Amino acid sequence: MDNVVVRKKKNMSAPNVIFVICNTIFMIAFVVITLYPIINTLAISFNNGTDALRGGVYLWPRVWTLKNYTTVLQKDNLITGGYITVARTVIGTLLSLAANAILAFIVSRKRFLFRKELSLFWVITMYVNGGLIPTFILYKNLGLTNSFYVYVIPGMISAFNMLVIRTFMNGLPDSLEESAQLDGAGYTQIFVKIISPLCKPVYATVALFVAVGQWNSWFDAMLYNRMSSQYTTLQYELMKLLSSVTNQGNSVESMKHAAGTVTPTSVRAAATILTMLPIVCLYPFLQKYFVTGLTLGGVKE
Amino acid sequence: MKLKKAIALLVTAAMTMSMMTGCGSSGESQTSADAEKQTQTQDASKEDSGEIKEFTAFFATPGSEINDDNEVQQIIAERVGAKCKETWLTGQTDKEAIGTMIAGGEYPDFIEGGSATPQLIDAGALVPLDDYLDQYPNIKALFSEQDWDKLRQPDGHIYFIPQFGTVKGRERVCTHNDEAFWIQTRVLEWAGYPKVETMDEYFDLIEAYNEANPTMEDGTTNIPYTILCEDWRYFCLENAPQFLDGYPNDGSCIVDPEELKVIDYNTTPTAKRYFQKLNEEYQKGIVDPESFTQTYDEYISKLSTGRVLGMIDQWWDFAYTAEDSIKSQGLDAQGCQYVPLPITIEKGIKNQWHNSGAVLNVSSGIAVTTSCEDVEGALQFMNDLLDQEIHNLRFWGVEGVDYSVNENGEFTRTAEQRLQATDSAYKASHLCTYSYFPQYSGTSDDGINANKSDGQETEFFDGLSESVKKCFDAYGAKTYVEMIGTTEAPGAWYPMWSFSNSLNTSTEGGTAWTLMGEIKHEYLPKVVMAADFDSAWDEYMTAYEGCNPQAFLDEMQAELDRRMEEAAKYE
Amino acid sequence: MASLTRVKTKAKTNELRTRFSWKEVKRQKVLLFWSAIIVAYGIVFYYAPLAGWLMAFQDYKPKDGLFGSAFIGLAKFQRLFSDATFLRVIRNTLAMGVINLISTFVMAILFAILLNEIKSKGGKKVVQTISYLPHFLSWIIVTGILHDALSTSGIINELLLKFHILEQPLNFFAHPKYFWPLVAFANVWKETGWNAIIYLAAITAIDPSLYEAASIDGAGRLAKIKYVTLPGIRPTIMITLLMNVGNVLNAGFEIQYLLGNGLVQSVSQTIDIYVLKWGISQGDYAMGTAAGIFKSLVSIVLIVIANQIAKHNGEERLF
Repeated sequence: MDNVVVRKKKNMSAPNVIFVICNTIFMIAFVVITLYPIINTLAISFNNGTDALRGGVYLWPRVWTLKNYTTVLQKDNLITGGYITVARTVIGTLLSLAANAILAFIVSRKRFLFRKELSLFWVITMYVNGGLIPTFILYKNLGLTNSFYVYVIPGMISAFNMLVIRTFMNGLPDSLEESAQLDGAGYTQIFVKIISPLCKPVYATVALFVAVGQWNSWFDAMLYNRMSSQYTTLQYELMKLLSSVTNQGNSVESMKHAAGTVTPTSVRAAATILTMLPIVCLYPFLQKYFVTGLTLGGVKE
Repeated sequence: MKLKKAIALLVTAAMTMSMMTGCGSSGESQTSADAEKQTQTQDASKEDSGEIKEFTAFFATPGSEINDDNEVQQIIAERVGAKCKETWLTGQTDKEAIGTMIAGGEYPDFIEGGSATPQLIDAGALVPLDDYLDQYPNIKALFSEQDWDKLRQPDGHIYFIPQFGTVKGRERVCTHNDEAFWIQTRVLEWAGYPKVETMDEYFDLIEAYNEANPTMEDGTTNIPYTILCEDWRYFCLENAPQFLDGYPNDGSCIVDPEELKVIDYNTTPTAKRYFQKLNEEYQKGIVDPESFTQTYDEYISKLSTGRVLGMIDQWWDFAYTAEDSIKSQGLDAQGCQYVPLPITIEKGIKNQWHNSGAVLNVSSGIAVTTSCEDVEGALQFMNDLLDQEIHNLRFWGVEGVDYSVNENGEFTRTAEQRLQATDSAYKASHLCTYSYFPQYSGTSDDGINANKSDGQETEFFDGLSESVKKCFDAYGAKTYVEMIGTTEAPGAWYPMWSFSNSLNTSTEGGTAWTLMGEIKHEYLPKVVMAADFDSAWDEYMTAYEGCNPQAFLDEMQAELDRRMEEAAKYE
Repeated sequence: MASLTRVKTKAKTNELRTRFSWKEVKRQKVLLFWSAIIVAYGIVFYYAPLAGWLMAFQDYKPKDGLFGSAFIGLAKFQRLFSDATFLRVIRNTLAMGVINLISTFVMAILFAILLNEIKSKGGKKVVQTISYLPHFLSWIIVTGILHDALSTSGIINELLLKFHILEQPLNFFAHPKYFWPLVAFANVWKETGWNAIIYLAAITAIDPSLYEAASIDGAGRLAKIKYVTLPGIRPTIMITLLMNVGNVLNAGFEIQYLLGNGLVQSVSQTIDIYVLKWGISQGDYAMGTAAGIFKSLVSIVLIVIANQIAKHNGEERLF
C-alpha cells in the first residue's frame, strides 16, 4: 500500500516551490477546461429541451426538467440492451485481456523462435482492413450474425493492447524467468504465477480500454444483429433514439415526411450522462492497481 | 485476493446474465421462442383473434422506433391480424446499409431502399408486384393506371409503392410545408402589412424595420437576415433562383413548360441578381456574418431567440424546433413567428413556391422482399392499413383518447391532446403511424375530416397564435398556403428531383452533379461575402463551368423527354 | 549523478536470436501451441476479410458479389490519383494527422508526468478521473461547445475584444488558417486525459528506489523527471509513437465534418470524408476500398521506416 514515490526528506528549495506552484496552476486550469464540457452537458441534460434551443445554458440549467431523462429511460428494450451491454463488457473484457496477455507473454519471451514474425503479423492488422462488406460476409458464414458471439469473438485480440502489455513485460527483469526456469517452472507457470501478478497495472489499463470500447460500441449491434432485438445493446438503443431526431446526410424529401423531429441536444446530453456514469465508476476501482502491486523493487537484477 | 474474488464474482454475473438473455442458444431458435412468447401473450389478451402475423421492415431513412408493446399497434394488429416491426437507418448511409444487406442476402419482409432502391431491384431482392396488385383494391386505388405505369422499371415490372403524395378527396393543406422567404409578423405589422412581392421589396422592408427597431423588446440586437448553409441544408442559399423566376421546386433544374427544355437555374440572370442582392445586403450588415459557418443547431438557436427577422428555409426545417420554442417562450406576442411571402424577382410573375395536388416520387417506395415467406399476407397487411378506419387509427389515434368527435362528426383535439401527440415518449408507447407504409392526405371517406390531423382546418386555427391570425386577416388569408398562393401541380414531368436524387457518379452527368454541389458549397459563400462581387462571380462561374454542368443537363433533358413521351401515351 | 545512468533502458539491438532447433521447439511447445491458435485466429478475423481488397480492382456490384464482379484493373486508383481533390485531401489528412499526433502525444505525456508530481493522493485521483471524462463525450457535443465558445459573440471573442487583442469579433470558422489548429485543440481537449492513462500505468512500474537514489544524489524535481520518470516510460513512449506514426492518415472524419463548412472546405476535407462523398454515398464500394488500400500501404511503409529508425537507435520497437 506504499506510495510509489517515497520521499523521506521534503525538498523545499526555491525551484521546487516554483515547480509545485506552476504545476498546481496547470492542473487547475486543466481541470477547469476538461470539466467544463461535462458540467455543460449535465446542465443541458436537466434543462428543458425547447428552452435549451435558445442557447445560453452553460453551468446550470435555466428551466429544470427531468423530461430528458425520462425520454431516454422510456426507450423500449433498454433493459435488454443493458443486460447485453453488461454481459459483453464483462465477458469481452475477460476474454480479450486473457488473449492479449497470452500473446504479449509469448512475444515478450526473448528465446521465442518467431518473436519478430508474430509481432509483425499482429502489427499489420492495425493498419489493414478488408472493409465492411467482406467482414459482414465472413461473420455471416461463421454464424456470428444474429448472435451474441459477434460482440466478443472478433476483436478479441487487438495489436494495440497486446503491444501495451508486451512493452510492460519487456520492462520486467529477465532474471525472473531465468530463476523460475531453474526451479523447474514451465512457461504456463511463469505466465500465471510470476509475470501476471506483476502486470496488474498494465492489465488494469488494458481492461479499461477494452471495457470502455465494449461498453460504447453499437455499430456491431446495428450491423450484425439488426433484426435480433434480443441481442440489442444499450448504446445501439440510444443511437436509434438519437438518430431518429438527428439526420445527417439526409435529403429534403425524406425530411418532409419525418415531421415533428426536434433538435436532440438535450436528449443527447441525458443519454451521454446516463451511459457515462457506470463506466466512469469503473475507473476508481481500477485506479488502485496503478499504485499497488509493485513488488518490483525486490527483484532487482 | 480481492482481485480474484472480484473476477469470480464478475464471471458468475456474466454467466447468469448470458443465460438469462440466452446468448448460448442460436439466433433462430431464440427468435422463434420470442415469437412464441408473443403469440402466447396475444392469445391471452384476445383468444379468438387467431394468430397474429408478424412482419419485419427496414426503412433506409432515419425514423423513430416505437415500443414493442405499443398500444395502437396492438389494436391494429387485432383488427387486421398482423403487425410489423419497423427498423430504421442508424449511423449509415442508405446505400451502405442496403449494400451490406445485399451482400448478406437476407432481408426483412418489407423494405424501403431510399436512393439504393435500384441496387435492390438489380440484386433481385424485390418481389414484382404487378400480378398481385389487382387482388388488393386499396393498394390498387392509390394511383391511376398512368401513375402505376410510371412506376414500372425497364423490365416492365412494378417493384415498389411510393408511400407519400397521394391525396384522397378534397386536398387539405394549411401549412406551407415547403420553402419560402419567411418574415416575422412584427416586421409586417410595423409596416402596416404591405404587399411584398419582390426580393428587393423584401430586403427593403427588412432594412427599414431593422433601422427603426434595431433590437427586440428586451434589448437583444436583431439579426436582420440569416442563411443556413450547413451540408445538405444549403438549399436555403442555393435554390431560390428557380422560385424567383416563378418555377416550381423541380429541385435540380428549371423546366420550361412550353418548350419542355431543361434550364440551369444556377446561371440565369436571376441567379446573378439574387446573389448580388445578398452580397449588397452582406456588405450593409443585413446578412448575418455567421451565416456560412453556423451549424444547424446554432441556426435553430438563433431563430429560437426571436432575433432573426427573415430567412429562406423549408417549413419543416424550423417549425417543429425554432417556431415551437418561440411560441413556448411567449415571443409570439412580440410577433416573432414566421409567415411566408410570395416573393419573385419581378412583379407580375406567378410564384410557385407552393404546389397543390399529388406528387409522385417514382424513385423509391415500400417493397416486399424475396425473403418474405408470405407475400400475400404482407400485401394484405399493407392493403388493410389503407382502410379508412385503420388509417384514422394511424394518423389520429384512438377515439376518446387522442381525439373526440363533435356533433358535426368533426374530429377535435384538446390542447392537451395536441401536446401529447407531439411527446416522443407518448408516441413511442401509444401512437403507431406506420409512417413509411402507403398513406393518404386529403379528406377522409366521411367527407368531413382530414386524413391527417395537420390538414384539419379547425385543428389548425386553434393552434394559431393571435399575432399570426392578425397577420393572416390583414392579408385576407386563412392559412399559410393562402399567404403565399398555390398553383396546380406542373406538367407530367414533375418533379425532376425524383430523377436527380438517384443520380450517382457512375454516369458523367451524375459526376457533374456531385461536383457542382461541391463547387457551390465552396464558392457561393465567397460570392456573397466578396468585396468585389463581379470578379467573385466570374471566378465562381469559371469553377462552375469546370464541373461540366452540360453533361448533367443533358441527362436531365433525356429524362424529361422520356417522361413526356410516356405521358403522351395517355393523352 | 552517476548512479542514475543505469536507469536508462538497455539497448536491445544486439540481442541474438535463438537458433532454430527441434530441441528448442520442444522446449517452447507451450508457446508454439498458443501462437498457432492465435495466428489461426488472426488469419480468420483479420487477414481473410482482406479478400475484400479485390473490390478495388473490380466494378463491384452487390448482386454479383466479390467473386462475380467484373475486373477493371487499376482504373479506380487511376481515377483517384488523377483527381486534384483527392491529392488535396491527402495533404489535409497528412497535415492534420501530423499536427494531431504531435500535439496529443506531447500533451498526454506532459500531463501524465505532471500528474505524477502531485503529492496529494486524493488530488491526483480526482484530477485523473476528471481528465479522462471528455473522452466519453461524442464529437457532436464537443464541437457544439467549441462552436459556442468561438462564435462571434462567444466567450473567446469577448475576451479578445476586452483585452484589445482584436478590434472586431473574429469568425474563427470562416478562415482556413484556423481550421487545423482548431482540430488539434479539440483532439487535445478530448483525449489528453485518456491518452495519459497508458503513461500513468507505465510510471507506476518505475522502481521507487530509483527516485530515492536520485534524491540522495540531490536531484530536484525536474531532474528526477528528466533522469528517472522519462527514461522509465521511454519504451512505452516509443511504442505509442511508432503505432501513431502508422495512423497519421487516420486523421478522422467526424470532427472535420462537424467543424467544417463550405468556406474552409479546401483544408477541412480528409480522405475519409472524400471516400464517403465520392464512394460510399454513390454506392461505389471500389473507390472506398481503393482509398483504404492506399492508406494501408502508406501506414505500413511508415511504420516499417519508423521501426527501422527505432531499431537503429536501440529503442523499443514494434517488431
